[in-house]
Amino acid sequence: MSKILIIEDDKFLRELIVRKLIQEKFEIFEAIDGEEGLKKMKEAKPDLVLLDLILPNMDGFEVLRRMKEDISLAQVPVFILSNLGQREDIEKGLKLGAVDYLVKAHFTPNEIIEKIKVVLK
Amino acid sequence: MDKFLKREKEFQELDRISKMLIRRDLVLTELREKREKELEELREKTITLEKSRIALMNILEDVEKARNLAETEKNKTSAIFENFPEGLIFFDKENKISSINSKVQELFHLKEKKIRLIGQNIKDLKNYFSLIPLIEILGEEIKVFYQKILLIKTNLILEVSVIPVFTKERENKGKLIILRNVTREKNIERLKTEFVSIAAHQLRTPLSAIKWTLRMILDEDMGKINGEQRGILEKTYQSNERMIKLINDLLNVARIEEGKFLCKLQKQDIVKVLEEVFILFEQTAQKKGLKFEFQKPEEKLPEIKLDVEKISLAFHNLIDNAVNYTDSGGEVKIAIENLTEQKQILISIADTGIGIPIEKQDRVFNKFFRGENAMREETEGTGLGLFIAKNIIEALHGKIWFESKENNGTTFYCAFPC
Repeated sequence: MSKILIIEDDKFLRELIVRKLIQEKFEIFEAIDGEEGLKKMKEAKPDLVLLDLILPNMDGFEVLRRMKEDISLAQVPVFILSNLGQREDIEKGLKLGAVDYLVKAHFTPNEIIEKIKVVLK
Repeated sequence: MDKFLKREKEFQELDRISKMLIRRDLVLTELREKREKELEELREKTITLEKSRIALMNILEDVEKARNLAETEKNKTSAIFENFPEGLIFFDKENKISSINSKVQELFHLKEKKIRLIGQNIKDLKNYFSLIPLIEILGEEIKVFYQKILLIKTNLILEVSVIPVFTKERENKGKLIILRNVTREKNIERLKTEFVSIAAHQLRTPLSAIKWTLRMILDEDMGKINGEQRGILEKTYQSNERMIKLINDLLNVARIEEGKFLCKLQKQDIVKVLEEVFILFEQTAQKKGLKFEFQKPEEKLPEIKLDVEKISLAFHNLIDNAVNYTDSGGEVKIAIENLTEQKQILISIADTGIGIPIEKQDRVFNKFFRGENAMREETEGTGLGLFIAKNIIEALHGKIWFESKENNGTTFYCAFPC
């Protein structure tokens, strides 16, 4: 069973995507901000991270940057799942090493899960 | 006898004398007359001279007046120049400073006395550290341009214009540099755009939640739903999608207005880009019962510099309109051709749809424009699609125009230089 960590500050969005992921038999870990996200990442060693960008305390870009500096985390695939959708944000995210950049409003939960499955295969 | 003779002689002598006297008197009179005439002439000459003197005095006075006037004019001009609320520098034909006003010193914190700046060539101005960004934008040749934005530092943004100065006789006198402090305007613009961006971003989060929820219900993740429920929820889902689209359009418009809609240019096969957008609409067009065609050119077109993401969005908006505003049984035909003679690639998107009313045609590319017939037909449009398309096409040095007749159809054309 693959482990997925979701770092998302919006409670309802988190619930929705978690519900869907559990249906799909993933093991889920949740964090509501960047700092907690990094902490849980080290503990749980997830196979994939769903990362929001605008987060309290430490934003998603910073989380990504720190992950890449940490040998134990650098290889974990990260999907940015954010509503920032400008080209600069997308380029910045991908440059920092995210596997994909998904604008929340443009994807359904099923589409997101399809993309996750492709990466985890 | 003797006596008589003597007397006779005396008479003769007397006569001679009197004659001589008379002659003398005559001569004298003549002389006097001549002198009087001369005097008269002299008097006349004096009058003429006096007249000339007065005339000369008048001329001198006029010259003085003119000189004063010129002096006043010059003072006025330099006072205007000096007190102008925008920074002004006038470079002569040799690119040396001929005039500079205090506003320039204020903008650049120049401590140097103005008099010492005058006569300096633009190349020598590099010694003044604060002027370097300005010199860089002007170039050593001082190229003519209009309203370029120059960021000096975070709290100083200038709008720079270089204007060639000609006399009435078309003689080149030099160039005038106008420096307008637009920091405040730019900050307001930035705040406005930031507001739109943040508002749009904030709106996207609840809209995402609605989208995901509706989708999960529709996918029956939370149990079965009946046909009626599905019907209504599908419509709700579509409304939500429209809202998401509107927000995307608003964000794009905000970016265009911010001047940040920068283009990432790469040489591209435009046929391929257009075809990819075309394919996206095939299904919708088919469902609607439209004849939907893409006419590819027979030969390969030269690649042109494009921003694929943006140009796809422009094509998307144009084809979307064509498909939306054409009724079942109609036709949408997209063609692309190489006009070798004009060195242009011409794209046309022709429909047989509702058309644009003639009295509204000059407003088609305005923000939030929507034809009344379009609003009746189709409630979905945001009125931003064509505004966005035009801005993208023009940013890529292309042109866009259209021909349309109400109830007969519309053809949009775009031409790109190649």
